[in-house]
Amino acid sequence: MDTHDTGYQADLMDIAAEKYKAGRLSRRGFLTAMGALGLVPMLGNRSAYAQASEIVVCNWGGAAEEILKNILGKAFEEETGIPVRVDGAGPSPGKIRAMVESGAVVWDVCDSGAGSAIVMNGAGVIQDIDYSIVDKTKVLDGTALPFGVGNYVFSYAMAWNPTMLPDGAPKTWEDVWNVQDFPGMRTFRKSVRGQLEMAAQAMGVAKEDVYAFLDDEGIKAAIAKFRELRDNIIVWGSGSDSQNLFLQGEVAMGNIYSSRSFLLKDQMEPGSFAMTFDGAVLQPGIWVVPKGNPAGAETAMRFIASAQDPQLQANWFEAIGNGPINPAAASLLPAALAQWNPNDPANVVKQVIYSDEWYGKNQVSAEELYIDALIG
Amino acid sequence: MPHIPEKLRYWMLIIPALAVMIIFYIFPVLNIWGISITEPSVGIENYERMFASNAVKVSFVLTFRIAAITTVACLILGYVVAYTISNLAGRVRPLMLGLVLLPFWVSVLIRSFAWIVLLGRSGLVNDGLMATGIISQPLRLMHNELGVLIAMVHVMLPFAVLPMLTNMRGISGSYIQAARGLGASEWRAFREVYFPQTLPGVMSGGLLVFVLSLGFYVTPALLGGGRVMMISEYITYQIQEFLNWGLGAALSVVLLMATAVVLLIASRFVNLKTTFLERR
Amino acid sequence: MTPSALRIFFGTGSWIILAFLVLPILVVIPVSLTDTSFIGLPKDHLSLQHYDTFVHSTKWLFASWTSIWIGCVVAVVATGLGTLFCIGVWFLSDRAAMIVRWIMIVPILVPPVVQSLGFYKFWVTLGLIDSYLGVILAHVLLGLPYVTISVFASLSNMDRRLPLAARNLGASIGMTIRTVIIPAIRPGMISGGIFAFIVSFDEIVSVLFLTVRRVETLPKMIWEGIQESVDPVIAVVASIFVLITLIATSLAALRRS
Repeated sequence: MDTHDTGYQADLMDIAAEKYKAGRLSRRGFLTAMGALGLVPMLGNRSAYAQASEIVVCNWGGAAEEILKNILGKAFEEETGIPVRVDGAGPSPGKIRAMVESGAVVWDVCDSGAGSAIVMNGAGVIQDIDYSIVDKTKVLDGTALPFGVGNYVFSYAMAWNPTMLPDGAPKTWEDVWNVQDFPGMRTFRKSVRGQLEMAAQAMGVAKEDVYAFLDDEGIKAAIAKFRELRDNIIVWGSGSDSQNLFLQGEVAMGNIYSSRSFLLKDQMEPGSFAMTFDGAVLQPGIWVVPKGNPAGAETAMRFIASAQDPQLQANWFEAIGNGPINPAAASLLPAALAQWNPNDPANVVKQVIYSDEWYGKNQVSAEELYIDALIG
Repeated sequence: MPHIPEKLRYWMLIIPALAVMIIFYIFPVLNIWGISITEPSVGIENYERMFASNAVKVSFVLTFRIAAITTVACLILGYVVAYTISNLAGRVRPLMLGLVLLPFWVSVLIRSFAWIVLLGRSGLVNDGLMATGIISQPLRLMHNELGVLIAMVHVMLPFAVLPMLTNMRGISGSYIQAARGLGASEWRAFREVYFPQTLPGVMSGGLLVFVLSLGFYVTPALLGGGRVMMISEYITYQIQEFLNWGLGAALSVVLLMATAVVLLIASRFVNLKTTFLERR
Repeated sequence: MTPSALRIFFGTGSWIILAFLVLPILVVIPVSLTDTSFIGLPKDHLSLQHYDTFVHSTKWLFASWTSIWIGCVVAVVATGLGTLFCIGVWFLSDRAAMIVRWIMIVPILVPPVVQSLGFYKFWVTLGLIDSYLGVILAHVLLGLPYVTISVFASLSNMDRRLPLAARNLGASIGMTIRTVIIPAIRPGMISGGIFAFIVSFDEIVSVLFLTVRRVETLPKMIWEGIQESVDPVIAVVASIFVLITLIATSLAALRRS
């Protein structure tokens, strides 16, 4: 993603309106074309894909399960007549590989991440995206990977509990590393993704220079920074983990998904939760399709394409705080919620943009060092 | 009916269970060795990576340390209980025995959950201590090694008590009485006459707890806060998150061999047959 | 006679330790009765709302039922296989018999994660991933050691001369087993079966490796519940577990005395 080009951000709103129309049009146009080809029978659009009796989308559970069903699921069912079932079991690479290897695949489309998608592609358990069905122009630049495509945008962002920090809240990552003035437990992810960037910033590196700083030497320095803080860290494994840590008052601050912050702001007592996009890491979520998915590749691709609709993307954000991957959705968002949108131009400028290139090169070795720094 | 030798008839009773065990258990477990030298490519790179990794080293040290502390704690606490049940309990003996056995039947998962409820920052222990004014700041009881140890001792304690009980049941009270009759103090009679006789039971309980602790997964994973990563959790993590089967398998082989070495060393001091084959 | 210091130390010490063993487990009961939507002690009054959620949740009920029937199948199969095995070994009573007895208890010694990894790879080849058969087979293997230990203990207590006499009188092996041995070792078989049931009913690690979505057992639901949410329904499930255990142990204790 090259969204740190400021021109891009300034243009976002303008382009959005056009793209929005384009998006609507192309979907309607697509359906018309289908009808013309005789693929859509007279009675509604039903049974166009008669072979698939349902499609199963897997995400990470909790509130996200219902919401995905009610928004993306309902729209797809209305469009195609294929019911959408949402499974909140958490499509970890391990589970997807287990399914594919055993030939007992029950998921059609899975909510994954760039890092995991790379891992799964390496193991050969996911399908390539069919970009004749999925529209490359309806996702942020750089999120249309060969083996996965962006579904929403989220951030690794700083969150804290003001009631546990009566003497003042942290403002920068430097503050998060300052245990003297900001006491309390911190939470960071169990995996290195979106974490070293924070340590680099805590060392005074500007957000634009984070990945340039994180060469071999820089990684070592960032890891050392975590080693220094580790007695004050509880790590989270899944998004719901991080949510629980805040809900139960186990941590005073931490680096968690912005989508979880979006939920926590309503779940916690007023005044006991806050977050900022300052110094956060912005990255895309990725749809992947397991090899041999039960509804067939085409149906899965159609679902992904359907979910690209800007209005759906906007609704989805409103419900759960996933930033729209389709830039055209920006203008459809309620102004009051814009501050929670990781992909809002005003927020994008505050953030580090996740570098696929850096992760492709360094993830494996950094992961090892990161775990080493945290345990023991 | 053709004549079948007597021995063969007996083997026919043994074979079904044995075959199932060898085909579906022994073979797959030995096969892990194969995975460790073939994934992702043929060679010993997984072992090289493993031995070069500081994280693996730290995790192994942590695993052995936690297993050792758990064992010692279980033996001390377990001894007190076993001694009381065997020698002092009298009428309440069945009750005490029942209380030792009760947690045995409740799943490890439920017991770990109970500890999460108790030890959390806003858990019942901290709430109680704060309400009574003993502490003003919540203590860190969970998401660290302390939490893992408390819950592990809780899970493992019955495993330490039972072998000691079996052993103490077989100790005649007459030696102690003789020692006391000869003028030894109660403490001295215990230390010099009774205690040495209970050592086989202590060893046996200790070995059981140590071996089970080495491979423990559930409790450390739930209470360790991700930072107390024992080797079993490390293996699972490598496999579930990174599909790193080769490294996971290599780690498994080493864990398995470590367990075997522990048993081998222990066999010089402990009667393995009574510890494992004739348990309970 | 006044109790000595040693006695006081051991006596009070063991009650404290027993309290440490039992009280933490009982804590789930008040928590399950909470009137709040998060895990904690009841605030204003006791409430059965979370029990209500449990009995109306098809997911929890289905998982409970799955665990129960899998446990029963495992208990029957493991007890059957294990009992025949023990009888054969007991008749043989030679060195080879001793070795196969050791082979049977290997699952107790191998760390759960390691064996699950082995299962996984083999089950993939057999196409047993995420199937009931796959879970049952794994649990039978994990239950067999307990059955053999328990049944063999019963056999060792049996008078060796009885079955030999029956054999000498011309009874076939099958008849001897049915009429002489089985009745004598029934208690061992029953406790072995109960052990196998409990092993299966509580087992989590291999289920985590071997199932993805089609098979949902109760421990798996609890595991996911603990990691995913702070829903007091888990406390309800835990309380039901604990209450059943309490009742069963007291009944067993009453019967014994």
